[in-house]
Amino acid sequence: MKKIKNTNKQTNPGHKRSVKQLKVSAITSEYQKEWFRNTRKRLAAGEPFCLANADTPHEIFLTMDDIPFVATQWWSAIISAKQMSAYYFDKMNEEGYQKNICRYCTLPLACAMDHHPVKAPWGGLPNPTLILAQLSCDEQTKIFEQMAHEYNCKFFALEYPAPAPNYPRWWEKVENDWEEVIGAQALDLRVEELKELIRFLETTTARTFSYKKFGEIMELENQQEEYLKKIRDLLAKVRPCPVGLPDQLATTMNLQWHRGTQWGLDHAKMFYEEIKNKADKGDSVCKNEKIRLMWIGRGLWHNTAFYQYFEKQYGAVFTNSMYLSIAADGYIRNPRGDYLRALASRHMFMGYCLRDPEWQLKEALNYGVDGAIMIVASNCIDSVGNMFISMTLEKAGIPVLPIYADAVDAREWDDESIKALVSKFIEERCIGSK
Amino acid sequence: MNSFDLLKKHYENRSMAAMEWKLKGRKVVGYIGDDVPEEMIIAAGFLPVRMCGDPGSDMAEADKFSESFYDPSVRSILNMLLTDKYNFLDYIIFSHSNDAVLKLYHQLWWINNLNPDISFPPVHLFDILHTKYLTTGLYVRGEVQKLKTKLEEWSGKTISNEMLSESIALVNGNRNLLKKIEKLRFVEPALISGTDALQIIGSSMFMHKQDHSRLLEQFLNLPDQLSAKKGIRLHIEGSDIDNNEFYNIIESCGAVIVNERNSWGNTYFQDNVDESCDPLEAIAERYHLRPSRYRIQSLEETALYCLHSTTVAKAQGTIFFLTEGDPAPTWDVPGQKKALEENNIPAHNLNNQKYFINDIDRTVIKTEVKNFLKSIKNI
Ligand code: SF4
Repeated sequence: MKKIKNTNKQTNPGHKRSVKQLKVSAITSEYQKEWFRNTRKRLAAGEPFCLANADTPHEIFLTMDDIPFVATQWWSAIISAKQMSAYYFDKMNEEGYQKNICRYCTLPLACAMDHHPVKAPWGGLPNPTLILAQLSCDEQTKIFEQMAHEYNCKFFALEYPAPAPNYPRWWEKVENDWEEVIGAQALDLRVEELKELIRFLETTTARTFSYKKFGEIMELENQQEEYLKKIRDLLAKVRPCPVGLPDQLATTMNLQWHRGTQWGLDHAKMFYEEIKNKADKGDSVCKNEKIRLMWIGRGLWHNTAFYQYFEKQYGAVFTNSMYLSIAADGYIRNPRGDYLRALASRHMFMGYCLRDPEWQLKEALNYGVDGAIMIVASNCIDSVGNMFISMTLEKAGIPVLPIYADAVDAREWDDESIKALVSKFIEERCIGSK
Repeated sequence: MNSFDLLKKHYENRSMAAMEWKLKGRKVVGYIGDDVPEEMIIAAGFLPVRMCGDPGSDMAEADKFSESFYDPSVRSILNMLLTDKYNFLDYIIFSHSNDAVLKLYHQLWWINNLNPDISFPPVHLFDILHTKYLTTGLYVRGEVQKLKTKLEEWSGKTISNEMLSESIALVNGNRNLLKKIEKLRFVEPALISGTDALQIIGSSMFMHKQDHSRLLEQFLNLPDQLSAKKGIRLHIEGSDIDNNEFYNIIESCGAVIVNERNSWGNTYFQDNVDESCDPLEAIAERYHLRPSRYRIQSLEETALYCLHSTTVAKAQGTIFFLTEGDPAPTWDVPGQKKALEENNIPAHNLNNQKYFINDIDRTVIKTEVKNFLKSIKNI
């Protein structure tokens, strides 16, 4: 298939890509691009394809002869990194959607609604066979339904039962006692839904679901996540920090999209070994590391260079974010004889676990951070409750700076003033308290 | 005081019935959202009181613990809880009807966890889910059973099928009377204003159903109290409105609101519980699958529902009232407007509306509404 050139010339001088340090980052990112090119070829050849939210069981697609899928969040990040979010959101506003609609999950819809493959990154997405999402918020339902409408395909909705307000120290239990953490009623529902999803794919794609193969995928995935856990444990310990957030974010995510494959496992190992090697040699992102910072919330995909800005000036290094930490704490499952139920337990309350103040505090203490920067998107209901994260960390003596901005919408990111805000925070609350 | 004045009094003084109830040594259950089966609370011997916000008060206490950018009517409930305005409640039932209510449920836990000196009445979450599928239906059945067990634990009494059937009949009876009020709005000219209707309907959520039905019957038996309401007939869509300030403004511009999609208005009493089968099954079915339930409607269905609601009430136009912090309904608007347009029904959006409408907002709304009404007149 002919590669379509991206003709969109919109650029925003404030938004820069970060400088990556790791070889594995370059390899995984090139693989992801290659994978996408390949996926496009497969789709052009008439293979079925699924567009799915990140917190959905991709393992099912993989089991069914690797039905190609694209994760909406990943797609969102691509659109955002290509500096096209402003263009798409403006378009949606013109279509009669409100200016303050939420951004993070909307971007793929905005792109679909544009129906303009020449403008879209990488020539846009073809029509999926199926769109899959958990109904984890009110708007999710609307967005995915509309997207299925634009792509003229089916939307398979997975219910999202309400999580309990708190499950104390879930990260210590979820690997083995996931039944207890998630609860039987929610798991029963999700298992039924997964069976329905599988049956739907079996009947529409004529592919089969091999339970044996599925078990192997689940085991490979456990091994892959074990490496990510080792990386997390290593990074939490080593001073100075051997690898910065841009590498961590990009590589972790690229690996997670391919979880359950031999490639994913091999490269998670490579990721670990490269970091270990750096740590052993005493390499660091910032020789002069003085301040360790934690990033709370979604990755700043449109401006990953932001994370490196404070290194030179203050010796302030962003050491950690939820992406690697949740890979370490939230994915591994002892199947206890039921892989499907174990899979059901993986995604059910992951979004909630990510925002658990006690888990955030655990990670802050684990990495020994001097402060945390928390991105708060005031258009997203998921940000409601962030104040409890602040309160919990502050109570433990870790200062938190909330910044009100959107992870994918570059239009509202005022680079200079946010840098000034963070600088002031570092000077007054992180250095000051040392 | 005539029956309407009494209903109005209960609408304004929303804890009045609860206080009287408590004087008799009985308990009051507050509930949030329109997805909580009142029938079950009544069968357990409690008075159900729907919780609402207070647009007139500030949010100072809520600001200490919650972000400012989600549904202000729900945030206002938090503020009221924190300022002891709901100290007459013995228990609270939350429904998973939307994110904001679920967030509030979580917030109460975290507030108490981080500040043990702040406490709330015992709570229960009725986790009603959001697709039409059987798997969801079965889950909801389980939730109905759990709610029954919780109410039995709170009351110390078993809830029998007879008790449930009795309360179902009571609530259905109230719904049927409210449907008569709806008819009085659908006729041309309308015989009840939207502002009055909101008060008549809303008071049902704060009073014992028997008392409310009695007052409704008295009201309906005195048709002399009714007079023709002149003005352009409007239907209102969008966010739920737990007070009548907005209706007052609209109707003062020369309109009469004849229908609404609003769980504090006409949506409240649609779709009776089936009295011919097992009462718990019937309750589960009604709360999960009732046709008027916003959460299970597809975008296409909300568009059709909007069109139907407008035409069945013979409204000449539709206003979309969308409060800030309540984004879900905004996703329906483009499709709903298209459906209306195709049927030559004018529509107007009021986006990002405040929960507390101040003088400046009022002037802006009035100007927009007057222009809209003028455009309808000119058709
Ligand atoms: S509110 Fe947040 S989580 Fe929900 S759809 Fe919007 S961006 Fe996504």
